[in-house]
Amino acid sequence: MNPDSVYLSSEMPDRADHLWRYTPWRKAHPTGNVREIPDAVSTPKIVLKTIDGSSLPEGISLVHEQTEFDDLPNEEIITKSFLQSVTKNSKFTLSVIPKFKSTTPIVVDIQTEGNYCATHLCLEIGRLAEFELVTVIRGECKWFGMMRTGSTGEGSVCNDVFVNKLSKGVTLRVESISIPRDSQFKSGTVSSGSTLTKADLRYRMFGPGGSLNVLGSILSAGEMSLDHHIEIYHDSPETFSRLDWNTACGGSSKAVGTGMLRVSKGSAGADAAQLFSNLLLSSDAQADSIPELEVSEHDVVGCGHGTASGPVDENQMFYLGSRGMSPSESKSTLIAAFLNSTLSEMGGDLMHGWLISELEDDLNELGD
Amino acid sequence: MSEGSEARDAVGDYKAGWHDPENSTIRFDFGLSEKVVRDISQIKNEPEWMTEIRVKAYRHFVERPMPTWGNTEELMEIDFDKVCYFLKSSEGIGSSWDDVPEDIRNTFDRLGIPEAEQKWLSGVTTQYESETVYHSIREDLEKQGVIFLDMDSGLREHEDIVKKYFGSVIPYSDNKFSALNTAVWSGGSFIYVPKGVHVEMPVQAYFRINAKNMGQFERTLIIADEGSSIHYVEGCTAPTYSTDSLHSAVVELLALPGAHIRYTTVQNWSNNVYNLVTKRGVAHENAKIEWVDGNIGSKLTMKYPAVILKGEGSHAEVISVAYAGSGQHQDAGAKVHHMASNTTSNILSKSISKDGGRGSYRGMAKVMPKAENCRMNIVCDALILDEESRTDTYPTMEIANSTAHCEHEASVSKVGDEQLFYLMSRGHTEAEALGMIVNGFFEPFTRELPMEYAVELNKLMSLEMEGSIG
Repeated sequence: MNPDSVYLSSEMPDRADHLWRYTPWRKAHPTGNVREIPDAVSTPKIVLKTIDGSSLPEGISLVHEQTEFDDLPNEEIITKSFLQSVTKNSKFTLSVIPKFKSTTPIVVDIQTEGNYCATHLCLEIGRLAEFELVTVIRGECKWFGMMRTGSTGEGSVCNDVFVNKLSKGVTLRVESISIPRDSQFKSGTVSSGSTLTKADLRYRMFGPGGSLNVLGSILSAGEMSLDHHIEIYHDSPETFSRLDWNTACGGSSKAVGTGMLRVSKGSAGADAAQLFSNLLLSSDAQADSIPELEVSEHDVVGCGHGTASGPVDENQMFYLGSRGMSPSESKSTLIAAFLNSTLSEMGGDLMHGWLISELEDDLNELGD
Repeated sequence: MSEGSEARDAVGDYKAGWHDPENSTIRFDFGLSEKVVRDISQIKNEPEWMTEIRVKAYRHFVERPMPTWGNTEELMEIDFDKVCYFLKSSEGIGSSWDDVPEDIRNTFDRLGIPEAEQKWLSGVTTQYESETVYHSIREDLEKQGVIFLDMDSGLREHEDIVKKYFGSVIPYSDNKFSALNTAVWSGGSFIYVPKGVHVEMPVQAYFRINAKNMGQFERTLIIADEGSSIHYVEGCTAPTYSTDSLHSAVVELLALPGAHIRYTTVQNWSNNVYNLVTKRGVAHENAKIEWVDGNIGSKLTMKYPAVILKGEGSHAEVISVAYAGSGQHQDAGAKVHHMASNTTSNILSKSISKDGGRGSYRGMAKVMPKAENCRMNIVCDALILDEESRTDTYPTMEIANSTAHCEHEASVSKVGDEQLFYLMSRGHTEAEALGMIVNGFFEPFTRELPMEYAVELNKLMSLEMEGSIG
């Protein structure tokens, strides 16, 4: 069945559905008419490069392919079929050969165009590969759809960061990554763009020894509405996951972080934890957190989750003020430190420095 | 197999699972209709406005779909046409145990209610099937103006108060089961504590379902006037049958400025009872509402005691424990809405899943935009004791004020081998050691209970833990 038919024959989700409670599907849809699949969806310009401008190492390539792809491991039928429909001619595959190693982070630079723009990036990471990857989206399109699917290789180590630098508009992001035996995958999200973001990020560890670290540094300012849903599945023994999601919420913006941690029966030795932290910076800002947990295995190392929401600490403000900083400088410093606690974990020094330089202007704006 | 031996086999370790022969004076046929609703109201000789509320609630119940969350599979198994909605077993309400029909009195004797009343209670009400069969209150409290009645008598004798507050905290349109309760409610407690009166000893209600396929829909309304305080304790049991019963209560609490209400529940329904309860309190300025909620029995419990912190400086406390054994799903939790500034809340939830049981915490914590300087703390701990069991946590936090300090943490773990080893090295058997660890796990709940309840609960949990090692 082609994705158009699947989408159009599916029942549209209502707000009772956990995934769509805070951002209904019509708001994340390009036209708002959920029964429509727009024709005029353009393909963005995508460039593969290194973070410092040096030449790309051998063993990594980006290919514009229009082949069929596998189903998502834990699929959500509406977004999956919709994005399949609008990215029919915009499927790219990032291939990484086995034992590929790079000390310089690789950048997938996506420049959006037109009113509606979408792409599907498939990750095919070979076994024992070790590298860092940044996917950054830029431009001024009204609506951007991004689907990333794929699998990391056995024994691979990959730090993967997604950066949203769109100046406005709506971003619909769907991610579904499978993590096999002994693979270590770190997935960072840095978001300071788009007026509205709806993200559905799903990760499944299906091999023993799989490890996942999901990190978020989210700047929610002005009238932004940023809704991130993260599902983590432990479907194999001795798997490990951590989720640390930091959101600084200013202006009259609204940030939503929902998580689902599922430990299936048979995943003995699973070790899982989630933490959502929200810094509330203005009286009109709102932060909602729903970290859910379903555990069907009793022999776990531990499974837990937590959320914390609050304003900038007055004692810390006082301390910085006593060292000569103005209230505005103190506030900016504390916000930067809060977001940096997850940002600094996303990759090595080179990547960290690059991420800081990308975020600097937005951070200053939030502090004001 | 005879019905008696079948029941005995099914009862197992559940000590309250026997049943007495049914001696009803009025028994409705199975099924629900507008006529049933009107007939209940007519039997009780209720005022017209109450009949109208019941009918409106019934219509809402029929139109409202089943919840699409929670254990939807088990909810869909409820056959509302196979439930008896009204069964009266006694002609009147006794104020002395001698006035209560002998078979019913024997039931409550076996449950230890008269003995407890003499020792440590300010008042007792006992409900058998649909109606209250015994009721008493200490004379000194009555002289101070404390009203403690069954809900039917409350409506008859204090219609103005009931009319003012009935459904003000939980309207019938709140959810499908509050609509059902409002349509067919019978029994429950009505309490009014006058300004400044402190009821030092707890008052207790005991709810017993005896008949098969019975529905019990008690309605409780507690109003604590300014600066007053009261502790209400409820317990419940039912026989073990092979068919299911339905318990769907509504409890409304109003803590007026400076008042303090503590509402303690030890729910020990048999494993064939659907326990679908709506409980909510409104706390005015500097008032405090505490829900101390223990869920040991039932087939499916869906219960989320709620507090609306309406007045500045008000406080909510919810301590909830749940034990989910074989065939049980305890879907319990708490809701707190911070509507006013300088309000605080604490939620502590603990659950144990064993023998394939499922324990779920489901919560909602909300801070409204105009509520400044609110503080909220939520802690959920779960123990899974074997590979067949499951535990879930579904918390929701919606924070719309930047001055709020809100924290939530949850953890799932198993009983530590080193804890068991330590206790066994001190001479305890494995079962004893596990019982002690579990009782320790529940200790934040049991320490809030009156002594007799705490001792009984510890015994109960130790019995449940037997044979759970290896």
